[in-house]
Amino acid sequence: MATVEFEHIKKNYGGVEAISDFNLHIEDGEFCVFVGPSGCGKSTALKMLAGLEATSGGTIQIGGRDVTELGPGKRDIAMVFQNYALYPHMSVRKNIGFGLKMAGMPADAINSRVEEAARVLELTPYLDRKPRALSGGQRQRVALGRAIVREPKAFLMDEPLSNLDAKLRVQTRSEIVKLQKRLGVTTIYVTHDQTEALTMADKIVVMRGGLIQQIGSAEDLFHSPKNIFVAGFIGSPGMNFFHGRVETGARGPVTRFGGQEIALPDHCASVVGRDMVFGIRPEHIRVGDSGPHVGLSLVENLGTEKILHFHTPGENVLELDRTVMANDEERDAQTMLIRVIDDHRYNDGDTLSLAFPVDKIHVFHPDTHEVAR
Amino acid sequence: MEKRSPLATFGLYAAAISACAILLFPIYWMIVTALQPATNLRSYPPQFWPAAPQWNVFGDILAKHPYAMWFMNSILIALATMIMSLAVSILAAYALSRFRLKGGTGLGLFILTSKMLPATLMIIPLFAIFKSVGLVGSLWSVVIAQATLIVPFCTWMLKGYFDTIPPELEQAALVDGCSPLGTIFRIVLPVAAPGLAATALYAFVVSWSDFLFGRTFLTTNDENWTLQMGIASLKGEFVTEWNVIMAGSLMASVPIIIVYLFLERFLVGGLAAGSEK
Repeated sequence: MATVEFEHIKKNYGGVEAISDFNLHIEDGEFCVFVGPSGCGKSTALKMLAGLEATSGGTIQIGGRDVTELGPGKRDIAMVFQNYALYPHMSVRKNIGFGLKMAGMPADAINSRVEEAARVLELTPYLDRKPRALSGGQRQRVALGRAIVREPKAFLMDEPLSNLDAKLRVQTRSEIVKLQKRLGVTTIYVTHDQTEALTMADKIVVMRGGLIQQIGSAEDLFHSPKNIFVAGFIGSPGMNFFHGRVETGARGPVTRFGGQEIALPDHCASVVGRDMVFGIRPEHIRVGDSGPHVGLSLVENLGTEKILHFHTPGENVLELDRTVMANDEERDAQTMLIRVIDDHRYNDGDTLSLAFPVDKIHVFHPDTHEVAR
Repeated sequence: MEKRSPLATFGLYAAAISACAILLFPIYWMIVTALQPATNLRSYPPQFWPAAPQWNVFGDILAKHPYAMWFMNSILIALATMIMSLAVSILAAYALSRFRLKGGTGLGLFILTSKMLPATLMIIPLFAIFKSVGLVGSLWSVVIAQATLIVPFCTWMLKGYFDTIPPELEQAALVDGCSPLGTIFRIVLPVAAPGLAATALYAFVVSWSDFLFGRTFLTTNDENWTLQMGIASLKGEFVTEWNVIMAGSLMASVPIIIVYLFLERFLVGGLAAGSEK
């Protein structure tokens, strides 16, 4: 077990800067998730930590030891890959024990460690099978077995659940978390799925375009996003955004939404008269008796919850670059969502009155996209 | 799937049987020729099976000619060529498949282009080189000459195979503590075993069938003659015993046929491997 430290890490491919000034401290035993859209540099960062990609600058430390120039085999880490990367010509037993064999451990000791790992992962009946004779979930467990059997200082996982079906993904997700808690090994996990990040991580690193956007717990990112990207990326469905001018109302700063006043947090008093970007999560919008009226354009019934779509009033439509809006590519910028859990029957075309709780409204600068505090 | 009509099925089988007959006829005719006296060969109508097959022709060729020595020389040359070609092309193919080299694609195409050069074009420069280093008459001259022709194609065959192996396998091995060369021998080559078998077979067959290089480099040293040179020498200036030549040729084909039968599945799999993504 060990701390992991990235200091001013850079990665260039020719003239293209894939990662710039990456700084991160991961505590001993922490479960840290790198999350972000495709091409954000999260896998590259993980591969640099593994020693599979050379850095273009900066240093990496594992357990206080500078490993920047060391090969992957000398970093005392174990890695789980997206496609399992099991050796197809070896049995499960040999796959799990391969790292120990490379370390020069005696055969008896390898066998007992392999059998113990297999017992923990419920792989004992499959030890003498080849990987091709296993299901996807079993293969993934073999990959985990190969990692835990070596008792490394850190586990590195590169989208290990991507190849599993939805049900197995949820099951394996909790198994990985339980295993990590039990072993207490520092874990760095890469995913593009923000749900995985929110449910598994002690610490989440949100990345975009090779830059860290925000580091924090799931709660920090969900409730206090630092910029529009993080606000839009974290949460499913993502945060609603609209545009408006901050005005002075009877009881404090307000903006207008569909012609009606909406109360804003007190700190907005400092930006009265300026155009700002406002965000509110779909689950925080309340359906009430007063407030702005909107007509529902679509009702999605998901069983326990419903997602109600309505058109953003024309003057509030926010023109933001798609890349800034993060993963919610199917979202129409002119549509906002409400997430409700109730027994009311909603229909397309219904008119609703909405309430935007003031403490749930996030305010961002339209030019920097940073949160206004 | 639409069911084929009886007429179409008949046509398909007829075409397949005709193709097999055309392919197998020369082998059949070699057997018929070997088993009848040379005097019968030009008789009309031709005999499609000799009335009295002369099986002793196979024993005669072993007794009257140094057939075993020729056979051994051919085996040595084919094995040495196969090993040398594989050793070079495994490393070259791995480099072309895995490393992003500047001009790597051009280099790969250049290697393949060298396969397009006819062997006859290379004979004179190779002869000059071998003469200057004293290799003319040595089995090594044929081994090296064959390897220059075989390596480019083997490299491309293996590159296609290596391309299908996910690089994560090697990365996993590196993380597990394997050295970069160790990943090739412990992971890549065992996974690429069918491709290696196909490539090895190709190298063996091409080298086994060589006549041109042997005839050019080994003529002066009859102790190093290959099977193909030996069989060719059976053709006399005034009289040619075609039955003996055919018997020798048939016996020369046996190793290749046996190897083909055993490795056919690997060969087809190996050749097709690069076509899938």
